[in-house]
Amino acid sequence: MSSCRAICLLTLLVLLSACGDNLFPSGEDKRTPVSAGSSGGSVSQKSPDFSVSDIRGATVNLASATAGKKGAAFYFTMWCPICDSHMSDMRTSTTLMFPDVNFFLVDYVSGSVAGAARAATENGYAFGVFSTLVDTDNTLLNIFHATMGTTVVIDNTGIVRMNEDYRDGVNLRKALAALP
Amino acid sequence: MKYNLTYYAVAALLAGAASLVSSHSFAASCCGGGSAASLVVPKYATAIVDLTFDAELYDGYWNHNNKYIKDPPGSDLQQYRMNVGVGYRFATNWQASLALPYVWNDNSYSGVSSQTDGLGDTTVSLTYELLDDNSAWKIRDTHDLIPGISLGLSLLVPTGTSPYDDQQSSFDITGRGFYRLDGTLLIEKTIRPWNVSCAISYGTYLERTINREYGKYVAPYKKDLGDRFSASLSAGYAYVIGTGGDSITGTVSYVYLNEADGSFNGNRDTGSGFDKQSVGAALSYTNNDSNWSIRTGWNHAVKKDGWGENFPATDIITVGVRYVFL
Repeated sequence: MSSCRAICLLTLLVLLSACGDNLFPSGEDKRTPVSAGSSGGSVSQKSPDFSVSDIRGATVNLASATAGKKGAAFYFTMWCPICDSHMSDMRTSTTLMFPDVNFFLVDYVSGSVAGAARAATENGYAFGVFSTLVDTDNTLLNIFHATMGTTVVIDNTGIVRMNEDYRDGVNLRKALAALP
Repeated sequence: MKYNLTYYAVAALLAGAASLVSSHSFAASCCGGGSAASLVVPKYATAIVDLTFDAELYDGYWNHNNKYIKDPPGSDLQQYRMNVGVGYRFATNWQASLALPYVWNDNSYSGVSSQTDGLGDTTVSLTYELLDDNSAWKIRDTHDLIPGISLGLSLLVPTGTSPYDDQQSSFDITGRGFYRLDGTLLIEKTIRPWNVSCAISYGTYLERTINREYGKYVAPYKKDLGDRFSASLSAGYAYVIGTGGDSITGTVSYVYLNEADGSFNGNRDTGSGFDKQSVGAALSYTNNDSNWSIRTGWNHAVKKDGWGENFPATDIITVGVRYVFL
């Protein structure tokens, strides 16, 4: 019985050792500084140029994304419940507060302009303040190391001002308000 | 669509753990929403071991306006879970249990495909049997109407992979990343061959600090998820086969699940909560001679407006086997 107990305990310890940071969360700031203005998708870096299509077939690149505006905000969506919640929050509050910013949804799952257009339509985002970009080859996903819910803000000089998971919209509005 | 795997892994975890309940309440609890899991050791037994396989098939979601919306064209999203549970009676009215899920995520969209797997979140439970159900064959006096009542306390331990680990994609998520403490009330009554049960659970997550999101370190902040409430009702009929006491039990169930809004640094994260209603059916076969039982179940989300909010709509097919140690 004691050997059985020891085996169970050992098994449990092995399992728990593979559990990452969740068992004992850290509050330590482990961000590593990046060289401001260098090329990359992290905050303070200059975004590499990109070229993707939107759901109407128009090509959008770094320059056109921010043309005539203070900057652009990108939200990575897979058309899921939490995505809808975030997008709805942005549409009803943030976009109205910042008319001098272009807002983009980045569809990285549909794989085609037609598929993304259909998804945007069915979710109610085909028209309005958002433009939906179709990241068929994951160009934007890779530049910004993004996933569902990642929110990126770029100013009109191409500098990344924010790159993080969408939370309650407060950080997004702070980043947009701070655009030069 | 999947609330991305984060969301789904969450639902997965819940469903996996929740399926480890007694045969009566099993059908009611196998659904994504279930109550805090508890693996109930029968009164006459000392321990049980349970192995369950779940296949959760995603098919659209309800948005924040309770409207049902289909997944993107070409998407095919599933999650499979193997749940291992053990329960042990250490005193006449006390028992403890451990439920451990292993999760496989299988997600295909037209433009991206991902197959990942990993340990899910673990549930440890402690149950006290306040009243025993006499499981009467006939009601002869009021004593026969007394239901079985159990009180439970469960701790969800974040042993799965969460968005706060070194994982870059939401497809890799197998756990929620938070501890949760649940209190559970289970009421059961059997008047053979009929049985009914009601399980109510209320859980609260423990706030934690976060310094990384999907592999990217961020300025540390505190996050909490909203309190969780679930309730399930089930009714079953047991059909005795032959004279040996073997039986087949059919059960139907209804489950309601709600989670309130979470918070960031103490500020409410409006719109992060969700709710879901589902119905289920299950069949179990019990062999009295060998102490084995097998079961299969189906939990169904009604894919219409009004049956959920901010949550994926799924069907869960379950197959399980259980052994009781006398």
